[in-house]
Amino acid sequence: MMSFIRPRWRRPAVVILAGAAFAAAWGVRGGPHWSLYATLFGIIAVARALWLYGLSGGDSDAGALAGSVADERQKLLSQRSWAVSGRFAMIAAFIGLTVAVAVKASWWWPFLAILAVTSVGYLLGIAAYQAQSGD
Amino acid sequence: MRNRVRERRTQRGLSQAELAAALGVSRQTVISIESGRYLPSLPLAFAISRFFDLPVDKMFDPDDEEAGT
Repeated sequence: MMSFIRPRWRRPAVVILAGAAFAAAWGVRGGPHWSLYATLFGIIAVARALWLYGLSGGDSDAGALAGSVADERQKLLSQRSWAVSGRFAMIAAFIGLTVAVAVKASWWWPFLAILAVTSVGYLLGIAAYQAQSGD
Repeated sequence: MRNRVRERRTQRGLSQAELAAALGVSRQTVISIESGRYLPSLPLAFAISRFFDLPVDKMFDPDDEEAGT
């Protein structure tokens, strides 16, 4: 999908797009200071994109991943890091949900939503990558 | 699993960066393979063996369970 963008620009482009979407959300939200927040998050996105671009020029695993030129070991490294990230998200969501229930808070449902999404994501991963039945 | 990548590379007078470029992987991956911290995929193991004109079972010794992921 992104093959028309040079590898080194792919991740920065995603960050810029995400930043633009988030800035636009502040515009849609409106309010007295929407333009300030939209500009602030736009600047943060551009700064992060430039940082990623700079990182991708380096001779390192992080640089190869940032520049979308990772080899098999670096892709495996990224997959493992994402797995750790997902596990952290699940554990944090479970702790948050447990605390919210215990204190009768009204903000329990975002934790449940994150827990549900990460759980479904895990099951989808199993379904997608499990061995297919042979003959 | 011990391998002979470092030995063969130095015999040819190649740097890790040169071998990495020839194999189409990063220098860090060559370092990891040489140190036994990373076991390459089957295609990469065959590519390494072909590059050094050595059978894959001579390049990688499965009987030596030294390290690897």
